[in-house]
Amino acid sequence: MADRKKILLVDDEEGIQLLYREEFEDEGYQVQSAYNGEEALEMFKKDPPDLVILDINMPGMNGIEVLRQMKEIRPDLPVILSSAYQEYKQDFGTWASEEYIVKSANMDELKEAVHKYLTA
Amino acid sequence: MPELRKDPILGRWIIIARERGKRPTDFIVEDVETKGGFCPLCPGNEKTTPPEVLVYGREPGMPPNSSSWQLRVVPNKYPALVIEGELDKQGEGLYDRMNGIGAHEVIIESPRHEDRFAYLPHEQMILTFRAFQERIRDLSKDPRFRYVMVFKNYGKAAGASLEHSHSQLVALPVLPRMVVSELDGSLSYFKYKDRCIFCDIIRQEIQQDVRLVCENREFVTLTPFAPRTPFEMWIMPRRHNSSYTEQNEDSLSALTDIFSETLRRLDACIPGIPYNFVLHTQPLRSQPLEHYHWHFEIVPKVTSIAGFEWGSGFYINPMPPEDACRYLREVEL
Repeated sequence: MADRKKILLVDDEEGIQLLYREEFEDEGYQVQSAYNGEEALEMFKKDPPDLVILDINMPGMNGIEVLRQMKEIRPDLPVILSSAYQEYKQDFGTWASEEYIVKSANMDELKEAVHKYLTA
Repeated sequence: MPELRKDPILGRWIIIARERGKRPTDFIVEDVETKGGFCPLCPGNEKTTPPEVLVYGREPGMPPNSSSWQLRVVPNKYPALVIEGELDKQGEGLYDRMNGIGAHEVIIESPRHEDRFAYLPHEQMILTFRAFQERIRDLSKDPRFRYVMVFKNYGKAAGASLEHSHSQLVALPVLPRMVVSELDGSLSYFKYKDRCIFCDIIRQEIQQDVRLVCENREFVTLTPFAPRTPFEMWIMPRRHNSSYTEQNEDSLSALTDIFSETLRRLDACIPGIPYNFVLHTQPLRSQPLEHYHWHFEIVPKVTSIAGFEWGSGFYINPMPPEDACRYLREVEL
């Protein structure tokens, strides 16, 4: 159990949390949930994850601000932005992420990206 | 009494809504928001950007994408248009479509995060104008592209998402509507008068001297007769030329001087004012055009665009360009 890679999942939607948690736990990862940016930063500092899946449009601090704060502390931490919207790609703050994946019912792209960064 | 004014090139009407006593300090500018945190454009973080397509100032012997540089140009990491593929133009009844092919690049204008473009030293700022030329020349070799739009967003209200000083260019497989209108408008004038309308504007503005903000041996900055926003300015070369890429090093140096002065005057009038600037130049691979004249347009963001503007195409500008010019000229630098 102890050597399972840890994913911090940051999303304010309960449905996404449940779906992603189930999928990634089935894949053998340990999943921690944060429902907003502030909570995510707290958890990130207290119990450092191996990878972060980060929503952008959340109440309070948005995902791009969270991303920039996390990368300031751990530039090598892989962060995958996962948003329902394409338009945040215009914000160059998103460049700090490893990937920007648009949410979809098909999770193959997201799973592939997670494997890529956690098996590297 | 409000006044309607017509742009002589585009035929676009605007409304000058004179408001008594309107001064630069009456325009509310949001404080520049510095969010801080990791910056993907800063030296040391080169691996967060795609590999550079152009770099200036790298120390000899240092590898590509290493952290010693004065200016970098990199493709957009998450582009709206993609560089690979064919256009595959198709008709669908009366509608046209094609694949979203294009090049979107970011010019990182300085290695220093806190630098502001208007206050860059001459030797640093000129690199940006050189990079614009070099990238346009390179992209013009790609037959899929017809135009390269060069622009800068400064400040959140003008669309900038990062504080680190940068500008952008987008190579497009079509001519933007605004470019077509400008080319058509200037051609129509040329056919009628056998003169370049931009050259005529420069001549008249120098003579009248009521909208001429500043000048040097090669360039003039003026507030146009029918501006869309308060403090809109055009920077125009005195000598006729339709292509920005034809400018020599001496001309780029003079352009740097006047650009710096123009933006500093603007910032002194309304500190921290957000703005966009856009390069207007001839389409790629075009022969020299007698009717067209390259220039930069600087459009500050101090007014909002609402239903009337969207519906009519009219802009409502609360400050006459003659007043704006006076403030810009009189301000102490």
